[in-house]
Amino acid sequence: MQGKVGVFVSIGIVMAEQVKKEQAVSGVPMVTATIDGREVTVPKGTTVLEAAREMGIHIPTFCWHPKLKSVGACRMCYVEIERMPKLQVSCATEVMEGMVIQTASEQVLQGRKAVIEFILLNHPLDCPTCDKGGECDLQNHTFAHAVDDSRYSFKKARYTDGTDGTTFDDKRLGPEIVLNRNRCILCYKCVRANKEAFGEYDLGVYERGNIAEINSAPGHEVDNPFSGNLVEICPVGALTNSDWRYKIRVWLTQTTSSICNMTSSGSNILFYKEKNHNKIYRVTSRMNDSIDDGWLPDVSRYGYQIATTEERLKTPLIKKDGKQVEATWDEAMTVIHNRFTEIAEKKGKVCLGGLASPYLDNDSLHSFNKLFRTVFKSNNIDFRSDYRMLPEGADSPYEMLVDQPFTIADIDDSDLIISFGSDLIREHPNEYLRMRKAYNFKRAKVVSINPYAVKSADIAELEVIHSIGRAETVLNGICLAAMEMGLVNNQDLTGKIAPATTAEAASDAGVTEDDLKEVARAISSAKKISFICGEMVSRSIARDTIASALWNLYLLFGFKDKGQMAILPRYANSRGAGSLGLLPSPSDGLRNTLSGLWGCFPESDPNNTDAMLALMRKEEISGFFIIGANPLMLYPDRQFVTDGLERLDFLVACDLFETDTTELADVVLPLSSWAEYDGDYVNLEGKVQHARQAIKPLYQSKPAYEIITMVAEKFGAPLFESIEACRKEVDELLSMTHSTKFPSQFLEVKPCYEDAEEEYPTPLLICDDPHHCGHRTEKSQSLSNFVSEAYIEMSPEKAEKLAVKDGESVRVESPVGKIVVPVRISDCIDNNVVLIPRNFASTQVTSLLMRKRRLDRVKITKVDE
Amino acid sequence: MMLSEESVKAIKERAGRYPHRKSAILPALTIACRQLGYVDETVYREISKIIRIPMVEVAEAATFYTMFPKAPRGKYLIQVCHNISCALLGADSLIGYLEQKLGITKGETTPDDLFTLISVECLGSCATAPMMQINEDYYENLTRQKVDDILQDLRSKA
Amino acid sequence: MKEVIKAIGNVFISMPKGLFVTFKHLFIKPVTLDYPKQKNPMSPRYRGKHYLERYDDGTERCVCCGLCAAACPADAIYMEPDETEKGERCAKVYEINLLRCIFCGFCEEACPEEAIFLGQEYEFSAGDRDSFIWTKEEMLVQHPRKDNPLKRVIRRVRKVYGVTDKVK
Repeated sequence: MQGKVGVFVSIGIVMAEQVKKEQAVSGVPMVTATIDGREVTVPKGTTVLEAAREMGIHIPTFCWHPKLKSVGACRMCYVEIERMPKLQVSCATEVMEGMVIQTASEQVLQGRKAVIEFILLNHPLDCPTCDKGGECDLQNHTFAHAVDDSRYSFKKARYTDGTDGTTFDDKRLGPEIVLNRNRCILCYKCVRANKEAFGEYDLGVYERGNIAEINSAPGHEVDNPFSGNLVEICPVGALTNSDWRYKIRVWLTQTTSSICNMTSSGSNILFYKEKNHNKIYRVTSRMNDSIDDGWLPDVSRYGYQIATTEERLKTPLIKKDGKQVEATWDEAMTVIHNRFTEIAEKKGKVCLGGLASPYLDNDSLHSFNKLFRTVFKSNNIDFRSDYRMLPEGADSPYEMLVDQPFTIADIDDSDLIISFGSDLIREHPNEYLRMRKAYNFKRAKVVSINPYAVKSADIAELEVIHSIGRAETVLNGICLAAMEMGLVNNQDLTGKIAPATTAEAASDAGVTEDDLKEVARAISSAKKISFICGEMVSRSIARDTIASALWNLYLLFGFKDKGQMAILPRYANSRGAGSLGLLPSPSDGLRNTLSGLWGCFPESDPNNTDAMLALMRKEEISGFFIIGANPLMLYPDRQFVTDGLERLDFLVACDLFETDTTELADVVLPLSSWAEYDGDYVNLEGKVQHARQAIKPLYQSKPAYEIITMVAEKFGAPLFESIEACRKEVDELLSMTHSTKFPSQFLEVKPCYEDAEEEYPTPLLICDDPHHCGHRTEKSQSLSNFVSEAYIEMSPEKAEKLAVKDGESVRVESPVGKIVVPVRISDCIDNNVVLIPRNFASTQVTSLLMRKRRLDRVKITKVDE
Repeated sequence: MMLSEESVKAIKERAGRYPHRKSAILPALTIACRQLGYVDETVYREISKIIRIPMVEVAEAATFYTMFPKAPRGKYLIQVCHNISCALLGADSLIGYLEQKLGITKGETTPDDLFTLISVECLGSCATAPMMQINEDYYENLTRQKVDDILQDLRSKA
Repeated sequence: MKEVIKAIGNVFISMPKGLFVTFKHLFIKPVTLDYPKQKNPMSPRYRGKHYLERYDDGTERCVCCGLCAAACPADAIYMEPDETEKGERCAKVYEINLLRCIFCGFCEEACPEEAIFLGQEYEFSAGDRDSFIWTKEEMLVQHPRKDNPLKRVIRRVRKVYGVTDKVK
C-alpha cells in the first residue's frame, strides 16, 4: 500500500516538474511561495488569491471575479505576508519568489472583521425583504466572521428613489433590473463586468467617498443583452431582477443543471424550481470555462419563460369545420394515422414531408428521421426552416465549411479574431464575449468584415464595411492583396477569381485597397486565428459562392496549421441535426451508417425545405409534419410558404404555443419545452451536452420524442424498444469518425451581383434582436419587456433623409409586400442598410422577402399621421 | 449645442494630445466649465460625442470631482472652510451668519445670481482661521463685521 | 343479623353523611368553570392561535421573508410573496396549517419583523380539514395589539443585536 502511495506521490512530483518545465519553456517564469505552510509554484503574474484557490484555500471576497481584472475595492481578501508591514489584498498582490503568506492568521481575521463592520455601517440589514437573503456573500461572510454588533451609533445613510415622489428605496434601472443603493457595498463588480466583459456603457459609479453610488448612465436604461449577469454577480442584494424579485426564497428551491436552448454554444445553466410546484423560478449560469465563462446572455437567462408562460398550448387541437377544437391525444393520433394513410394510399408515401426544429434534442431528431425514412419511406425531411434556396449535397463548399471543427475556448488565445458576415452580439453572444476577453486580456487583434457597422466592432482594430451583397469580392480582394504583396507564395489562385486585381476588387466591394491589404497583412502575420462566419453567409442565397471564396482564403493562408474557420450554426442543436443526418441527402458515410442501423434507406428524391414547399404548391406533397418549427414566420418568403401550406391536404404542427404555422394546421399537438425532459444537444463545437429535466411536462404537452414514437406506434411500426435503444443509435452516429473534408484545390469564385433597383433603393437585412432568438422568445415575459415589437433599425443619416424621428412609424415596401414598423435610430447601423428583427410574429416581416433574391431591397416612406 | 465652436475646437485639440482618448475627459470638462460655468447631462453627452468615448465615462469623472459644478452658480462662490481649526474658531456660526445674511441655505444661490454658498474641506490656511475663499481670493481671520464689509464690497462691485 | 344492622346503618348514617357533603358543596365556590360561558385566563406566555401584527399606521408588518416557514419544525407555514404598489415586499398568500402546527412558537422567535405572534385563543376546532388552514386575512389583526408581553422581550433581544424598529 505504502509503495503505491509512494509511486503516486513520485508521479505527482514528476508531473509537477514536467508542468514547471513546460511553463518555463513556454516563456512564463515560475515563482515559488509558501501559503499557510505549503509550498506552491505558479507562473509569474498569478495573484496570491488565485494561487491560494488553486491550493484549495478559501479566501473570502466581494469584488473579485475570476473573469474580471482585480481592483481590490472591497478589501475583504486580506492576507498577511511576511516582511510586509500591513495586511495586503490578495486579489491585487502578485506572488513573488519566496513570499511567506498567511491567509487565516489572527491579524487577518481581525482585519476582515473590521472590513465587514465598515461595510455594514450603512447597510440597511433588510435581509427579510432582500431577495439575496440565503445566498448573500455579505450574510455568509458576516456570519463566518462572527460580526454580531455594530459600534456605529449614528443614523444610517439612506438613498431613496425620489423620482416619482415616493420615498421607497428601490430604483428601476432597466426593464429587468432593480437597484437598491442602500444595500450596495460598492464593489464595482457590476460596472466592471458591464464595461470590461460586455463592452456596454449604461451603468456607472457616480460621486465619490461616502456618497458614491452605482446608477445607470444619465438618460439611459440598463437594457443591454447581458444585463442579467449584473444581477447574478452582485454579492449583495443591491441588484435584483424582476423575474426572481419577491417570488420565492432561495432555500425553498432546488437546482437542476441543464443547458440553454437559445444559443448554439449551449450555455450551461441552472434551473431553480420549487420543491412542491412544477414551476421554474429563474435561471443562473453554471460556469463552464470551455463554453460560457460564467456569463449568460439575457436570452439564455430569461428564455426559460417560454416554458412557464400561460400561453402554452394545453391540449391537442383538431380542426373540425374550419375551427380548431380541443381533443385528446388518442383522437389526435387516430386522425393523424387515418389521414396520412389515406394520403399515402392515394398518392404514395413520397408525398409526405417533415420539418423538424433545430431546437429539439438528439433523441427527438433521430426518431423523427427514423419515422420518415423507415415508416414513411420518404427523403422529404429537413430541419432548416429559415434559409432560402438551400444547397443540395453534403459536399458543397458551404456544407464543408459548416462541418469544420471549431473550439470556443480557442478564441481566448487567438491573436487575430475575424468576424465575417456575422453580427456576433445578435447571433453568438458567448463567442462575442470570448472575443472581448481575448481583446482585454491578450490584446488580440479584432477585425470585423460586415456590410454594416456592427455593435461588436467597437473593439475592432480594423472594421471593413463593404457594400452589401459583395462579401465574396472582399474575400477575393484579400487573397489578391496577399498575392500582390507577396505575402503568400502560392499563385495558383490567379485566374480562378474575379476581379483580377486588388484595386478592382476594392472598388467593386466599396472598400479601400488599404483595408484589404491591412487584413491580408494581419492574417499572414497572425500566429493563431479564429475566423467566425455567421448568419449573413448562411442565409444568403450566394452561400456557396461566399463559402468558396472563404475556402480559397483558407487554403491560401494555410489556416489548417494556424487557426480555425467555420460557419457557426445558429440554433441549439443545428449541428446535432446535421450530424444525425436529418438532411434530405446526408453524406454517404451517414447514409451507410443509417441504413446499417435501420436495415433500409429510402431511394426517393431528396427534397429540402425549399423544394418541399415548391412541391406543396404543385400538390405533389400533400401531408406535412412540422415539429417545433415555424416556417411561416421564419422562411424568407411568407407568400411562398402560405401558398404551400394552404394547399396541403393535411398538416400536423407541434409547438409550444399557437403560432402562425399552427393556425393553418389540421392537427396541433402541444410540445414540451427543453426544460421538461431529458435530452442531449450538440453545440456548435460538436460537443454533446445533456439537458436535465427540471419540471414535469406542463399541461398535456409531451416531449417530441414521445409524440414521434406515438405516431410510429399508431402506424404499427414501433421505432425503438426503449429510449435507451434510440440513444444507443444516436451515440453510434455521433461517434462516427467524422472526417472533415477540405477542397483539394482552389475553387472558382465568380461573384454574382444583383443590380440595384431604382424603385426599391434600400437593402434590408433580417436579423435576430439581441434579446431574442427565433420565433419563441417573444413569449417570454422578461424578454418582451426588453423588446416587444419589431422595429426598423437605421442610421441617423438615413433617418434624417427620411425626416423621421426615433419611434415614428414608417412604411416599408418591397415588390411583394409592405409593413409598417417604428423606427429605431442606431449609431451602429451604417452603409445605407436597414435591419428588421424577425422575432415578432405580428409584424410578418418575411412577407417583404422573396426567396430567389440575394438582396432584399425595400422602399421606406414616412407614415403621415 | 451648448458648447461654443471655440470650446469644441479646444477640446478636439486637447484630445489629440493623449495616447488614449479617455485622458481627454478632464481637460474637456475644464474647458466646458470655463465656458458655461457648470456641466450637466447635455454637456456630458456633447463631450462624449466630441472625443468619442461613452457618456458614462464623462459623467463618472465629472461627478467624482467637486471642482466641476453641476448647476449654474452665482458670480461669487463663497467657500467656507469647515475643518477642525476653522470649526473650533466658529466656522459653523459663520456659515449660519452667512446663510441668514444672504437668505439662502448652504449649497444654494441667491436669487440675484450673485452669491453661492458652500462649505468645503480644509483650504490650508489654518493659521488664519476662520477663513473663506471667494472665487480665487482668501478672506482670513473672519468676524461678523468683516463678513458684512466683504459682502457689501462685492455687492457694490457687481 | 349483623349484616342487616350494618345495611340499615349505611342507609341512615352514611348516606346522610355523604349527602351532607353534597349539600355543603352547594354553598362552596366551584373549582370548575362553566366552560363555554366562562373561560379561564391563560398564562401570558400561552401559545395559542397565531395572529399577524400591524404597524401603528395600519400597514402589515409581515414582509413574507420566509424565516418562520424555515424555522417551523412541522412545516406548517406556506407563503407566497408579492410586491405592493409602492414596490415593497408583502405577503400575497400566508397560510398556517393548524393541524400540522405544534405550537412551539419558533415562528414568532424567528420573525425579524415582529409580525407573527401566538395569541391566547385556543378554540378553533372545526368539522372539516380545510377550515384548519388559516389564511392571512383570518390571522391579520385589525388594530395593532400593544399589550403583548412577548413583544417587549423580542424587542429587547433585538436591541442587543443593534436592530431597531423600522421607522415608517
